[in-house]
Amino acid sequence: MTYLMLTGRTVNQGVTVENKTSAEYAAETSTCFMHEFDMLELGLDNGDTIRVTGPCGEVVMRAVMSEEVGMGTVFVPYGPYANHVVAADTHSTGMPDFKSHQVEIEPTDEEPKRVHELMEDLGGLAYDR
Amino acid sequence: MIVKDAVCPFCGCLCDDIEVEVEGGRVVAVTNACELGTTKFMGEKRMKNPILRDGNQWKEITCDEAVRYAADMLLDAERPLLYGWSGTHGEAQCVGVHMAELVRGVIDNTSSVCHGPSILAIQEVGHPGCTLGVVKNRADLVIYWGSNPIDAHPRHLSRYTRYAEGFFLENAFRDRKVIVVDVRRTETAEIADEFVQIKPGGDYAVLSALRAIVQGKTETIPRTVAGVTREQLVRVANLCKSAKFGAVYFGLGLTMTRGKYKNIRNAIELVSELSRHTKFTISAMRGHYNVYGSNEVNTWMTGYPFGIDFSRGIAFYNPGETTAVDILARKECDAALIVGSDPAAHFPRRCLEHLSEIPVVQLDPYPNATTAFCNVQIPVAVTGIDAEGTAYRMDGVPIRTRKVLSSDYLSDREVLLQMYTLMQEAKGQ
Repeated sequence: MTYLMLTGRTVNQGVTVENKTSAEYAAETSTCFMHEFDMLELGLDNGDTIRVTGPCGEVVMRAVMSEEVGMGTVFVPYGPYANHVVAADTHSTGMPDFKSHQVEIEPTDEEPKRVHELMEDLGGLAYDR
Repeated sequence: MIVKDAVCPFCGCLCDDIEVEVEGGRVVAVTNACELGTTKFMGEKRMKNPILRDGNQWKEITCDEAVRYAADMLLDAERPLLYGWSGTHGEAQCVGVHMAELVRGVIDNTSSVCHGPSILAIQEVGHPGCTLGVVKNRADLVIYWGSNPIDAHPRHLSRYTRYAEGFFLENAFRDRKVIVVDVRRTETAEIADEFVQIKPGGDYAVLSALRAIVQGKTETIPRTVAGVTREQLVRVANLCKSAKFGAVYFGLGLTMTRGKYKNIRNAIELVSELSRHTKFTISAMRGHYNVYGSNEVNTWMTGYPFGIDFSRGIAFYNPGETTAVDILARKECDAALIVGSDPAAHFPRRCLEHLSEIPVVQLDPYPNATTAFCNVQIPVAVTGIDAEGTAYRMDGVPIRTRKVLSSDYLSDREVLLQMYTLMQEAKGQ
């Protein structure tokens, strides 16, 4: 199924943002807030893992029911997970489409990776696991 | 020891009424700050020493070695990128611009991925803005458009709008109306007098519809515009026209969606239209505590607010070409100095793939996502905690942040000055 992915600040993202190697930051920024009917349609319970595929890659997140988003739209606190699927095209403005990406979402049995694992997949070396 | 009137170095509100209790060189209690600010003041997970990536392991090096590494990296590079700058003080930003000019590099700040589009719009049609104090004391209508202050700027509502007293308002809570326009029913929407829910991507159309209604052309409006009924649009337009003083605060909901700077341009033009009927202002909800400062410093030093390319020997500015995401995605830069930001957490993955292929030096107090891509990271003092310096609030008011405790860490400015001195010597200056 295809959804519109928005990203943005949440309080929990903000309080963990200076502690990016923490499990709390990873948990918050790998949360995909969805409408309950969309979750029902995909057969998802709260906290189930999902594979989110965007124009330039895929990443595993956790689906959490939210009354804030409408059907067809999902919200992800901004951070390394959302940016794993966001394209770098800026349409000559300098700004990527952080709030207007179409993504595919499907249930999966895989667990979300930790932040340092995502960085190492791209050629980095974790300092503080 | 209790430090009064400390300045919070988290968001663009730059709250200057914080009380910080310090004991044994640590912050042990924080009063008046929001959850975001309190956590930042209490943060303890600092990196202890500069580190160098040595193959597949990290080793600690001295600050002098780290500074020398960074200076050599920038001097050797053909097209270095100096990025970040919003999480540090103006005095450090100043040194950064000098360094970029010396090595003919590109200097960009985080506004290219937050309110850069807002600045592009302001360059087209101007900025009818005002300070937060004016809004607090005069505004009887506040519109939050595409912004969610409860999560991103928690004290904006209590210090300046919904829950603030106003000198010219008899009963501010009763007399001040709040309208929230968003694609999500956020917590901020719950405390609004009127919530306008727009279909994603529909901001431009709704702004245009409101402009038409304010111009008296209601009959041209269809029954719904991007999911908003004509009746609600007319109600909102009337609320705006009947206000004595209205203030629009917009967030990344306008800058990061389709249309980008054109959305902001339309919002500014709506405000101009409303100012024919009453007083109206518009301002951006700036994120980092000193992202406004990075625009100010860059502008008064180079003429441009972000994305400045010195490769021609003069300042050149062309967002989309000279901005960090584009330069990294095109694999154009051959070295990067990152100061006061974390691009690995906030840039698309394609940019990170290039970061992993070039030498990177970062100045940051904490291990973060970008640390993984660094060749060298130098831990520095945190502005507003163990370093002081000037920051610009979201309304452009410069505020001197205070030092609440002393530490052995050097400030960003001190480390950058050491680098700059080495670079000047190498260039024979």
